[in-house]
Formats: sequence, structure tokens, C-alpha cells
Amino acid sequence: MDRGWYFRLAIVVGTSLLGFLALWPSVDRWLPCPDIVKETFENQINPGLDIKGGLRLMYEVEVDEYIRDRRDRIAEQVQRQCGVLIGIVPEEEVDDIDKATLAEIQQRCKVERVDKEGDAVRAIRITFSNQEDAQKLSKTWVKDYFRDLRVASGVGDLVVDLHMREEQLTNMRETAVRQSERTITNRIDNLGVLEPTVIARPNDGDIIIEIPGAQESSFERIKSIISRTAQLQFQIVDDESDSRSVFTAPPEGVFLNADSQTFAEAFGEDARDQLRSYIATLPVPDDHELAIGRQEPDPERGGEGWRTYYLYRVADVTGEDLDDASVGFDPQSGSPEVDFTMNTRGASRMADLTGRSIGKRMAIVLDDRVESAPVIQGQIGARGRITLGAYLDRNQLLQEAKDLVVVLQAGALPAPLRPANEQLIGPTLGQDSVQKGALAAVVGILLVLVFMAVYYQVGGLVADAMVLLNLQLLLGTMSGIGATLTLPGIAAIALTVGMAVDANVLITERIREELRLGKSPRSAVEQGYARAYSSVFDSQLTTAIAGIVLWQFGTGPIKGFATMLLIGIGTSLFTGTFCSKVLFDWLVRGARVQRLRVG
Amino acid sequence: MELIKPGSYFDFMKYRGPVITVLALMATLSLVSLFYPGPNYGIDFAGGTEVQLAFRGDTTPNEVRTALQDAGYSRPDVISVEGEPNQYIIRVQEVSSLPDDQIDKLREAVTALLGEDVVREMKVSPGGDKITLRVSGEVHEQQLQEALEEAGARVRSLNLLAGSRDTRYEVHLVGVADELTAQLREKFGDRAPDGALRVEWVGPKAGEQLRDAAIQSLLYAIAFIMLYVAFRFDLRFAPGGVIAMLHDALITLGIYVLLQKEVNLTTVAALLTIMGYSINDTIVVYDRIRENMVRVRDKSLRELINISTSQMLSRTIVTSLTTLLSVSAFFFLGTGVIADIAFALGVGIVIGTISSIFVAAPITELMDRRFFSRSRS
Repeated sequence: MDRGWYFRLAIVVGTSLLGFLALWPSVDRWLPCPDIVKETFENQINPGLDIKGGLRLMYEVEVDEYIRDRRDRIAEQVQRQCGVLIGIVPEEEVDDIDKATLAEIQQRCKVERVDKEGDAVRAIRITFSNQEDAQKLSKTWVKDYFRDLRVASGVGDLVVDLHMREEQLTNMRETAVRQSERTITNRIDNLGVLEPTVIARPNDGDIIIEIPGAQESSFERIKSIISRTAQLQFQIVDDESDSRSVFTAPPEGVFLNADSQTFAEAFGEDARDQLRSYIATLPVPDDHELAIGRQEPDPERGGEGWRTYYLYRVADVTGEDLDDASVGFDPQSGSPEVDFTMNTRGASRMADLTGRSIGKRMAIVLDDRVESAPVIQGQIGARGRITLGAYLDRNQLLQEAKDLVVVLQAGALPAPLRPANEQLIGPTLGQDSVQKGALAAVVGILLVLVFMAVYYQVGGLVADAMVLLNLQLLLGTMSGIGATLTLPGIAAIALTVGMAVDANVLITERIREELRLGKSPRSAVEQGYARAYSSVFDSQLTTAIAGIVLWQFGTGPIKGFATMLLIGIGTSLFTGTFCSKVLFDWLVRGARVQRLRVG
Repeated sequence: MELIKPGSYFDFMKYRGPVITVLALMATLSLVSLFYPGPNYGIDFAGGTEVQLAFRGDTTPNEVRTALQDAGYSRPDVISVEGEPNQYIIRVQEVSSLPDDQIDKLREAVTALLGEDVVREMKVSPGGDKITLRVSGEVHEQQLQEALEEAGARVRSLNLLAGSRDTRYEVHLVGVADELTAQLREKFGDRAPDGALRVEWVGPKAGEQLRDAAIQSLLYAIAFIMLYVAFRFDLRFAPGGVIAMLHDALITLGIYVLLQKEVNLTTVAALLTIMGYSINDTIVVYDRIRENMVRVRDKSLRELINISTSQMLSRTIVTSLTTLLSVSAFFFLGTGVIADIAFALGVGIVIGTISSIFVAAPITELMDRRFFSRSRS
């Protein structure tokens, strides 16, 4: 045998060895796998949802919320920029307009957000109070300052409608879904051990999350962590101005604080909801807001307690500037808390905010809930901590701290999520099917092996060796890339085995034909391979096209099916044309068989 | 062993007329079956609710089905779970989602109560289990709940979410699964199930999206395969291959529909595989025709097709047979999804084998006669 053959043999043996090593960690249960192999090949074949059971969640991203958010911010900028337009403030001070000036601007041209239901175009309306100012607005002005907007109607009139540009809306939708996808992936990854698949479909505004094998008891926690918006804000508590006038007579169950009457509190299971309904009815000035946080429980008045905080609306520092978060422990009480660090921008803003507010309280607000409101003792820079209120027991606190770290690290969702579909697949349902599927796979493969050996004799045995090698490589590849094995995936394996034989059938038939023409075994093998290549290649590639399309659009089981099919086509091309040739070459050149029995 | 004697020559082209007629008839029937009786879409496509329940006492599927029918469900499916006595998968077409006129009614009721200016937005979730209401101003919760219930909504809870910018109410409604379980519990007394082991629902919108995505993927697959064939062979070959491929998928789907088997995402996967398999089969024959066209100069295309198909007949049969062998193991030994896939694949392989012989190549010859004959002579 020549050098080239040995080289090819080395490739075949090497690949097969690699395939085996990659597969080893997956069959650890039956064939204990040494640690060194496990460390090199970290992945295993993952049983899919239908096999292992698990959780499949589909969320709709409330894209409209995101767009509305953006629109609101733009509306604010428009209001300021109008100040420049009508000549009240100079261009360079547009970001730094004080309250009185803003009121003055609003008097001459008022910017409103227009919310109409079912209105796909998110709109902003400018109302001028005199014709002279109205004349100053032009389409170019809108184009120059606000790329996201276009003039819908009324240039030169007192009332001008601005709409969000269609293409911007599409971009925003895509951004919102992509960002949500990333955030959710990070959050689940931070939970550890689970092997989630997160798929985003921006066109539909959907996100699909599949978590195989999740424990039923952990579902609620996973769901709450996924769907938490996690908007973190730092706001200063206004203890100075008189908030007493804000509180009207509270309904039953809600009390005004006895000493100062500056906040409302409620106790018991429904306390939080009661407080919420109450404060929703209160006339809060525009630059303030009321938020709710935990209060010391009072067993006499019904247990857990909640209270209101009177906050300045501006949030100078938000979770966007967060760099990292971790669980820490209070040095004095030892109770769990969340430590965080800010990035440079956040740190300087934080220093600024705390520097001018020493002695005041700073509320740490997460999704409309005040986590804590410590008094600012001195300037705070990059580092800070969130104490979680001492009103829960230690275990609860620790759990909450951990969950908080997960969501803070992963960042906020750009928009709330709305569940669209939820499937809980019990693992017992899969077990039985898996066993039957595995049995069917074994029987199916055996049938093919026997048939080939009988029909093509030596050629069939070569094909059989290739089928087994193919199977090993297929499973090895799956294990190596950590592919998910689903029920349809098992069916795809069977199909692949059937089709992998096709390459061998084509080649063996061709060799037969060449032998019939009276060629020597050696040249029949050469010719057989040379002539069969194109049909093997073309036929496998066309199947691969169908596989790629499936892989592109499929989710869950279908994607698993496509993955298997594609890997199978790759491995069967390799074994069918390359590996089998090595074996045939040995037969006709090494063993020098005089008669090649190919049926 | 030889199935087909080497050097055999079969005049396939002679029989193409009758065979194509039969196949065309089957394809037409399949096409008709898509409209009548129409596919039995699984809940991935049609939307619906699936609940798995374990009854505490002895029951029969029939008993449960009757109970559900009495409770007003239109086409309840009750499937016993193998190996688990008194455990059933119940599938109803009802989703908790509310019809448009119902939503309009709710909307009217809410605006009538609160006034046009107060209601800023009202959204109903596609699953129909939640209404989100944005309001500016005061709302009397009790009145709101009463108004919604009067308009036909079944309120489970009503929560206020006071946001920083506005006020939001979330109204949770009673879902189909809750309701179904409660109804059965009432009917069966102490034999009744505790709670649902598993609940699955697909809103009609999600179902539509999936269906559109599936159709889209079929079209993409066809376009790409056609392009590839036109590129690797020539234009005469592309239509034959694609028609054969579509024909196989169509007939398989038709048989599925006629047997009223459930058409779901897995069926789409199987159909795509069949299309891949069919084109694979066709390409191998095409490849031989292409080869013979260069080698054998003095024969008509009709004869060339006969020669090539006869030469490849052994391979066509062997490959179909091996694939059928492994697929049939899955059909007979597998359960559920696996058996369904195997069934579809089996049908597809048989049809695909026939069509690669009698449909693809004859269409190529037709193309050649119609559009290319002048250039050949």
C-alpha cells in the first residue's frame, strides 16, 4: 500500500477516535468516562423537551410599550427644541432648561403625546399659541433634529402632527425583541445548570424559551425571573416639601403615618394592592411621584407592611449604568444584600447626585417598588449596595438577593413581556416513547445491516462498516456540539442511516457495472468511485438544502430534526465516499482479491 | 444477489401515460382533500387547549368525552395515556381567547363606565386570559369588575399596577383549562381529577404565525432546490424534479388528510424530508441521463431516459427498500410523534420512488420536445 493510503487510513482512524472521545461523556452512564476526556469535551447530547420533559414558554414582547417609551423621550426633546425654535433659549442650552423657562415654552408651544388606540403610528402633537411661532416650524427643522419623526400634517398651522417614521418603528421592534432575547438568555444563564434555548422572532415580536428537564418546583421562579422588567432607578426621597396635602382621606385599611402624616401605610396580605389603588387616585405634582416599599410588619394590624415614598420624579442614575452586581452581607447584621458597582458614567452621576443630597434619603426603586431608602451619609461613587429591608427572614432575603443579582447582571428588559403560550411537558410522558424509539432505532439499523450484507456481500459488509462508523460520528458530532436529541431527531437518525446507505449503494452498483464490463477489481473500484461521485454529491446536497431551510425556520423538535439531518448528510458523505474507499482500496490492493464479491 | 438483471431494458416511457394519469388523479384528490374535508390541524396550527388530567377513580375515555360534550365543547379529543390508568390527554379547540365582537363589547362596557377620556388603552392578550387597561384618573374597581362581567368576561382577579407614568389594571380571566377542570370535577365527584398535570395552549394568532412560517419554509425549499437543479443540470431538468417533489409532498399530505391524521409542525418536518428524499431520488436518475447524453449520441432522449432509468432501477429499489426497512421499524415499534413521522416518510418514499421513474424524467422529455427540440436537431 502506498503512502497516500496510509495517510487516508490515519484520517479515518483519527476521525473515528475523535468521534468516540466526543461521544464518551454522553455515554458516561454505561461506560465510565475519564475526567480528562470530560474536561476536553465539555458538551453532551442533550435530551430534548419531549424526551426529558421541561418547560416551553413563549412570550410576546410588548413592543408597543418600548415604542411608546421612546416616543415619550423624543416628545420631551421636541419640547425643549421648540424652546430654541421660538427663540426662548439659545441652542447650546437646550439640555439645561430650568422649570420656569420650560413652562414659558409650553405656554407658547405645547408638545403633547397623542395616544389613540389601534393607532400604529405613534404620534406627537405640537400646538402653537400664535401664528408667528407656528411659521418657524418647517419640515427641514424636523428632519434636522429628529431623525425618527416625520411631519404628518399641518406645517405652518397652529397644530402640527408628527409621526414616528415607519422604518424607525420596524427598527425599534427588532431592537426591542433582540434586546429582550439577549437579556433573557443572560438571565437564564446566570441561573446556571439549565440548558435553555432562547429563540427570538422579531417579525412576530415573539420570544420562545425552552428549558429541558426543569424541576416543576423551579418553574415559578424561572418564570418570574424571565418576565421581570428590572428597571432600576435611584431617586431622591422628598422629605422636605409638605406632602401632607397630597394625601386625601384614605380608604379603610390604609393609614396615614401617625406622627407626621407624610406617608401612607397598610398591613396584611392585600396591603400592597390596597396602597396601589389608593395612591393611583392621589393628585401628585408632575415632578413627583409616589412609590411603594416594604414597611416593618405589624402583627397586630395584619402582618406584612407596605408604605409609600414621596419621590422626586427625576431618576439621574439608572440600572443602565450598572457594571456588576453580587450578593454580599451587611458587615454589622450579616443579613444578605446586593452589592453593585457602577460604570464610569454611572459613578460620576452617582457622585453628583449623592454629593448634592447629603442628609437626604435615596430610594432604590426596582420596577416601581422601593427596595430600600437609606440616608445618604456622604458622597457615593462607583460602589453601592441595596439592602433588602430587614423585614424578611434570612432565607427569603438570600433568595431575593440572588434573584436580584441575576436580573441586575443581565440588565433590564426593554419592554414588558406578555406570555403567549406555555407548555409544561412531563418527563414521564417521554420515557416510554424514548424506550420504544430507541428499540425501533436498533431494529431499523439491524434490518438495514442484514439486508445490505445479504444483497451486496463484501460490498454490503463495507457498507455496514460505514453505517456503523457513520452512526458513531453522527452521535459524536452531536455530543461534541451539545446538540439536543428530540423524538423526531431519533427518527431523523433512522432516515439518515437509510440514506447513508444510498451513497454505498450507488458506488457498489457502479462497481458492479464496471466489473461486468470485465474490468479488474482494482480498476472497477477506481472507475466506480470516480463515476458515482457526482450523483452521490448532487443527491446529498439537494437533501441538505431542505435541511438548511428547516433549520432556519424551525424551533424545538423540528430544529432538532434538521440538525440531525444536516450532520447526518455530512457524516454520510464522509463515510460513504472517503472512508469506504480506504476499505475497498485495501481489499483490491492490499489483500489483492482476485474476485470482488459485490453480490 | 440481483433484483434486476444487468442489461435489462424497460420501456418506462410507454407506460408513463396511464401512470401519470393515476398519479395526477391522486394529486387532484389530495388537492381537493385540502379543502374538503380539510386538514385536521393540530393545536400548533389551529390553536386550542390541551390538558392532561389524572382521575382519582375509574373512568373511560368515552365517559369523559360525553361529559365534555355535555359541557358544550364542540370536538373534544380524549386520549388515554398509555400505562397510566385513568389518565387522559384532553384536547379541545376552545382557547381562552375572546372573539372580536366580545372584545368590542367589553371595550364598550369599559368606556361606558369610565368615559372616553379616562380609558387610554385596552388590550386583550391573545391567549384571552388577561385584559390590560390603561387609565388616567379614578376607577372604582368593584364597578369595573361588574361591568366586565356583565359584558361576558369571567374575571378571576383584578390588579392595579401603579406605574410611574400612568395607571394600569390587569384583569385576569378564567381560562379554558381552569374551567374544563372545574366542570369535570363537578361532574365526576370523588372520581374527579385534582388539577391539571400539564396545560398547553396555543393562541390562534401564534397558530397562524406557525402555519405561515411553515408554508414560507416550503416555498423557500422549493425555490432553492429548483435553483440548484437548474444550475447543476439545465433548465429542462428543473421543472420535472420540482413537480415530482411537489407531487410527492402533496399526495402524502392528501393521504394524511384523508386518514384525518393530525397535521402539525412535525408533519411539516416530515414533508420537507420527503421532498428532500424525492429530489435526491430524481437527481440520481437525472445524473445518469446527463452522463448517457454525452456517451450515447445516436439515441433519442426518450430511449436515453429508458436506458438510464433501467440502469438505475436496481439502485432506486435498493435504496427505497433500505430506507423503508428502517422507517417501518419506527412505524411498528414507535409511538406517537415517531410513528406519525415514520408513516409520512413511508408513504412519501413509496410515492417518491414511483414519481422519480414516471414523473420527473418524462416531464424532462416533454420540456425538451416543447422548448428545446429545435436546438437539438
